[in-house]
Amino acid sequence: MPSSGSIAGPVQALINELSKLPTIGPKTAARLVFYLLNRPRNEAQSLAEAILAVKDRVRLCSNCFSITEEDPCPICTDERRDATIICVVAEAKDIFALERTGAYKGRYHVLGGLISPMDGIGPAQLRVKELVDRVGRENPHEIILATNPNAEGEATAVYLSRLLTPLASAVTRLAYGLPIGGDLDYADEVTLAKAIEGRRTL
Amino acid sequence: MRNYAHLELQPAPGLNVFVGANAQGKSNLLEAISLLGTGKSFRTNRERDLIRDGFELATISGEAHVKAGAIRLGCTLTATPRGSRKLYTVNGRSVRYATFLGSLRVVSFVPADLHLVDGPPSVRRSFLNSALAQEQKSYYRELARYQKALSQKTALLRAEAAPDPELLKIYDETLVTSGTALMIARNHFVRALGAAASKVHARWSDGREHLELTYRPNVQFEAETEDSIAGSFEERLRAGAEMERLRRVALVGPHRDDLALDLDGRSLAAFGSQGQQRTAVLAVKVGEYAVMHERSGEAPLLLLDDVLSELDPQRARAFLEGVGEFEQAFITATQLPGALSLASVYEIRDARVIPGPS
Repeated sequence: MPSSGSIAGPVQALINELSKLPTIGPKTAARLVFYLLNRPRNEAQSLAEAILAVKDRVRLCSNCFSITEEDPCPICTDERRDATIICVVAEAKDIFALERTGAYKGRYHVLGGLISPMDGIGPAQLRVKELVDRVGRENPHEIILATNPNAEGEATAVYLSRLLTPLASAVTRLAYGLPIGGDLDYADEVTLAKAIEGRRTL
Repeated sequence: MRNYAHLELQPAPGLNVFVGANAQGKSNLLEAISLLGTGKSFRTNRERDLIRDGFELATISGEAHVKAGAIRLGCTLTATPRGSRKLYTVNGRSVRYATFLGSLRVVSFVPADLHLVDGPPSVRRSFLNSALAQEQKSYYRELARYQKALSQKTALLRAEAAPDPELLKIYDETLVTSGTALMIARNHFVRALGAAASKVHARWSDGREHLELTYRPNVQFEAETEDSIAGSFEERLRAGAEMERLRRVALVGPHRDDLALDLDGRSLAAFGSQGQQRTAVLAVKVGEYAVMHERSGEAPLLLLDDVLSELDPQRARAFLEGVGEFEQAFITATQLPGALSLASVYEIRDARVIPGPS
């Protein structure tokens, strides 16, 4: 492979840009660039436009802080969705995961991260105040805390549950347990122990 | 890995001795073997150093015959822009560190261990942690939870804004539940370790000297029950909260534990001669081997990196006799130590392993 000095300037520039993306290292970036070089111009153009459109046309919903083209977002304005349940998630991408299930018919609230003082993130850096205001305004029946089951997700859920319990009739947490279609003896001990704790009568 | 481009080795049962000059790759070989047991290097926290210069990948795999049968263990390190990433496999299936840990039990003895007596408390805590984490998966899990909560609490105390009391409480609750589990495990372990170490030490000194190990928890407790320990812990946290806020440090908990080593009732670190301190360390290491052997029901691998050359022949022989019947041991030395008999000897020269006496 030629040294970086001998590569055409624009090629090197695009490699540099792409390697800034998560999970993409310099080698993958080079592969993408050489692939793009061999594609017709209109493909490159639509990729470039799609990237710009994400920045220009997508913004945050002023109610739930999910990403949207229109404000408020389609989920917040959909009359068929249950406005008395709010599902609290860390990031907008978590909404996509939950929506794929088709099992949830309520609304959402995006925190914009998880509490982690190590990373300089406390409740004030997240949309916690907005959530409290919204709960006071909308008076929901149930708030579902759907943060990740890791240390930060747990701490955030406990913090929010203590804050919200006096304000809402029910504050719940997503269940922990076994993956469907899995094998008991493949599950790690922690998950299995949590599944035993969270067992239910049939 | 390190200076090895490629190496395949079929070690013999019993003693395997690697002899060679400095910087030929003796310790690297031992480090690789220990990586299969503990999943971590016994020398460095910067694991990227394990990858050979100019390469992006280091991989080590081995077949071990343990009580449960033959298992294949693998560990692969990949260089990343910010360090390295590790992947563990058991029998070819990729597993999490917590699952990998403890598949093969290893007791290692490296020159740095000689500071177990005269070093700071952190040396003794990490000795306890690595022995216990290998032995009990639950210990490793609680330790990881504890350290995470401790880092978060410390960050909260150090932040410019006054710490949110509700948030502080949440981290303290994790410290209490995980910390209590750590303290119970350490207390049990130190008792077993102390008994084993003092037995072998008494034999060495013909019963003239008495070695005693005592667990010195930062949070003292009355009864060794979960409730009693958690209760004392909560009380100390309450009493120390003001001081923690003022000094911006987490002052209470097992991250400040220590282990006391006394000879005839006097602190070895303060009053012991260098010889007495070394003998005590050897006894503690023999004790670790014995406790791990007894608790797991099988002989751990014994890895001795360069320590025999640091010890006089008499102590080296006493150590090997103290360990007794090990099934397999790996030893590195610059010269063939006189204390060894019935050994398979290999010469290490420039990252090559040459069988036969040097």
